[in-house]
Amino acid sequence: MSEYDSALPAFLDEAHELLAAMESILMDVQGQQPDSEQLNAMFRAMHTIKGSSGLFGLDAIVRFTHEAENVLDALRAGELSFDDELNTLLLRCHDHVKAMLQELDHPDVLASMAAPPLIDELKAYFRQQTSGDISPLAASATEAPAAAEQSWLISLRFGREVLADGMDPLSFVRYLAESGELGGLQTISTQLPGGDAFDPEQCYLRFELVYHSAMPLAKLNDVFEFVRESSQIHIFPLATAGRYLATVTQGQDEAEQQAVAAAWQQLGVVIEAEAEVVTEAAAVEAVAPLASNLQFAQAAKQASGAVARKTEHKETKTTETRFIKVEASKLDNLINLIGELVIAGAAANLIARRSGQSAQIESTATIATLIEQIRAGTLSMRMVQIGEIFSRFPRVVRDVSKELGKSIELHISGAETELDKSMVEKLGDPLMHIVRNAIDHGIESVETRLAAGKSATGNVWLNAYHESGSIVIEVADDGGGLRKDKIVAKAVANGLISADAMLSDNEIYKLIFEPGFSTAEQISNISGRGVGMDVVKRGLEALRGTIDIDSAVGEGTNFRIRLPLTLAIIDGFLVQIGKSTFVIPLEVVVECIEVPDDLKSDGTHSHLNLRGEVLPVLNLSEFLELGEPPGKRQNVVVVNYGESKAGLLVDNLLGEFQTVIKPLGQLFSHLRAISGSTILGSGEVALILDVPALIEFAKQKEVADFAGQTEQGRAQLH
Amino acid sequence: MSKLIMIVDDSASLRTVVGIALKGAGYDVLEACDGKDALSKLTGQKVNLIVSDVNMPNMDGIAFVTQVKQMPAYKFTPVIMLTTEADESKKAAGKAAGAKAWVVKPFQPPILLDAISKLVLP
Repeated sequence: MSEYDSALPAFLDEAHELLAAMESILMDVQGQQPDSEQLNAMFRAMHTIKGSSGLFGLDAIVRFTHEAENVLDALRAGELSFDDELNTLLLRCHDHVKAMLQELDHPDVLASMAAPPLIDELKAYFRQQTSGDISPLAASATEAPAAAEQSWLISLRFGREVLADGMDPLSFVRYLAESGELGGLQTISTQLPGGDAFDPEQCYLRFELVYHSAMPLAKLNDVFEFVRESSQIHIFPLATAGRYLATVTQGQDEAEQQAVAAAWQQLGVVIEAEAEVVTEAAAVEAVAPLASNLQFAQAAKQASGAVARKTEHKETKTTETRFIKVEASKLDNLINLIGELVIAGAAANLIARRSGQSAQIESTATIATLIEQIRAGTLSMRMVQIGEIFSRFPRVVRDVSKELGKSIELHISGAETELDKSMVEKLGDPLMHIVRNAIDHGIESVETRLAAGKSATGNVWLNAYHESGSIVIEVADDGGGLRKDKIVAKAVANGLISADAMLSDNEIYKLIFEPGFSTAEQISNISGRGVGMDVVKRGLEALRGTIDIDSAVGEGTNFRIRLPLTLAIIDGFLVQIGKSTFVIPLEVVVECIEVPDDLKSDGTHSHLNLRGEVLPVLNLSEFLELGEPPGKRQNVVVVNYGESKAGLLVDNLLGEFQTVIKPLGQLFSHLRAISGSTILGSGEVALILDVPALIEFAKQKEVADFAGQTEQGRAQLH
Repeated sequence: MSKLIMIVDDSASLRTVVGIALKGAGYDVLEACDGKDALSKLTGQKVNLIVSDVNMPNMDGIAFVTQVKQMPAYKFTPVIMLTTEADESKKAAGKAAGAKAWVVKPFQPPILLDAISKLVLP
């Protein structure tokens, strides 16, 4: 099988896609009967995985999926009805297949997974549903068709070549017997030649049969779809069949005509005399069944029209997902190269400008524009919809709420918001922790909710949207909210803060992200081990993200995660402080102003009156301890992050710059105000300022100064 | 000139594996992901054999083969159906539609190669 190993990744991709589709259907239907398209999709998922596994010799997966496929096939055929129990069983089948796919490298483990107890449960369910008379569903299944059952007379005169065409005439009769009852069957053998004339490869027999079934005529016609051309097939309602004897025997010899008449009488068909004698009249009469056939043809056309519309709908779906799969490492490599191209472009640009030749400057400028477009295009290739992560949450919410005995509804919006693929992978775990936490700690038990006058069903919202160069992901619940008193008490008990610490609401809320913090009195299976939330914080920090919490006791909590859109290349704004150059991410820059006269400066910190708004201003030269005299004409860059604004005092504004972010080494990881570095066209290194951290610092300084001033004021008073 | 074989299946991994097997046996391969896709790729070129799945989205294998048999250029192109359907009447329907042989999934590539070698004339 080794020669096929190269196809294994494709198999895994495909299997996971199919499983995801199956899961989303199972989550959608929530115990309701899926429509035939959904059933087909689920069946095809198991069917395809089984087929492909066979190719790779993965017998264990073949064996398991075969069982699941059987159940789905029975569902498709209407032999089983769908309910919540089956929904859960099928979800577990999905899980099991997924688990098996992860063990491809361990054949012995895989083999042991071929027949889990789940299979017995499936079989037990199957038996219970299909045989037991007790089951009301089984009873209604046999009752329903009885109401619409009709009796037909079917005349089958197969073409001579039917056997040579690979068909067994009897298989049609057997097929009919499966979905109805054969009331009688007469075989007419008048055409059977004797002796040498007999060709064993030809069919000489004709069948006349009475059939009771709820099958609609159109479907009955379909049974014979593939033999219709070469054979004479007639289907009449049993009650009026007597009129058409001449029609079905037209063109046949007398022996056969008589035999058919005899057969019909045997079958209880009352042959109407005039039809038997007057063939012309019969021909006129024959129009009737033709007309009725025509009606069915039209009905079938309409039905197929509906199908066509459905497939059209499906097609738009497939065009949406018409993707080329590219290995992630190839794309990463391309983005690295484009990063280098950006830097090299900047260098060329610099040299051109130094040369002072306008033609050269112009051509490098054109190249720079193109590079920017390539950069944007390549980065957008890495953008994926956040729905990829969101889609796993309905399942999580369902499972966790079942486990906890809570009733919770999940609302998802903004699933089409895009973000960098590499972020999607790392965002899964932190989000999972927050959502689990919201379900476990946030949403109260049903009794508590009812007592508080809320609906018994709790709500969890997942929302995502773009905001000024960041992506914001919100996880909200309408649960009990965060209890500040409890958090503070716990933090004091754990020694995280001192008992007399004065903290803002946001600071109190952020304590829940400290290691070893958990306020839930009862430690549950889901959360409460105090490992979850600090993982969240670290995970998000690694992505240069921040998290804010809004909460109101009794009303709920809203976690707001803010992440940069991309981690690789950004639009930067180049500023100069002393001899050093720094990059401020362009997306956070609001405006640049000259230093106004009324700027009150006292060392690193000051504030500014910006059209009536008071802004804290950070003197970067002082703050970064560059130890250089301030420039002659200083500027303030106003930056904005989330709901906070601040000014940064710099010497020179150098303009926009495509910035390839190079991570700082371990050595610099403790630096708060620097988030990375980049290489300038001149080959020099510029540091990228961590604006959220700077704003936070400016605000804290302001609070501290304010506290200091009031202290001073108090001292003066006394 | 090597023989061209068309493989129609909605499973990309199956197409890949069968593709590797067929190319290994010296055939050229034309892939399609469902009946509709396959019909659009049958543009008059010489195809020596078609291997088609039955259960596919958009257009299933039976409908596909029925249509192929109505195209003058492919009327006599042998078709092998891949399926797990054990249902006799469906099988009969496929045969009527023009399929020459059946290979039951899951199968190992050599079985399919064997079936192909019987149908593709040297």
